[in-house]
Amino acid sequence: MRIGQVIGKIVLNAQEPSYEGGRYLVVMPTSKEQLKSGPLEPPFPPGNSLVVYDNLGAREGDMIGYSESGEAAAAFERPTPVDAFNAGILNQFDYQPPS
Amino acid sequence: MIHARIDGSAISTIRHRSLEGWRLAICQPVGPEGEEEGMPFLALDGLNAGLHQRVLVTTDGRAIRERVGDERSPARFLITAILDEAKA
Repeated sequence: MRIGQVIGKIVLNAQEPSYEGGRYLVVMPTSKEQLKSGPLEPPFPPGNSLVVYDNLGAREGDMIGYSESGEAAAAFERPTPVDAFNAGILNQFDYQPPS
Repeated sequence: MIHARIDGSAISTIRHRSLEGWRLAICQPVGPEGEEEGMPFLALDGLNAGLHQRVLVTTDGRAIRERVGDERSPARFLITAILDEAKA
């Protein structure tokens, strides 16, 4: 999974039936530098954010592991047009890149 | 397959059911000389790879779903081997 931080939420009106039971998160992919320095604090800077389907209840500020492409759609019971799926809320990191 | 270096691990308590029991390793993609390439990602690790060890990671979603025994798994990366030598 890719590592990212939830920086916002999207509420849907009309939607694909298979989206029910979830919501959409605005997620900022986490760089090496960010992993070292820790999660961002609001206000979040502009960047290459993406939208991730979530049925785990992630909240703004949470770090998550999300999957893209075919693996995002695999989690649904029937074929669903979805690009990114929240696979887990990350509550603890041990990040020690070589110095 | 992706050539990567283990730079740590992450813990997820609230996660997809198929990730239960799996260690989540933070993998840094590297080139043949160990140079860093791109952003770190999380891979399922059933081999208990050590910190800074080089590993091979598969992105074959179908094979991973079979390996975790859940055809609805969103798992995207799985460590399939630990490199014997640091040199490629």
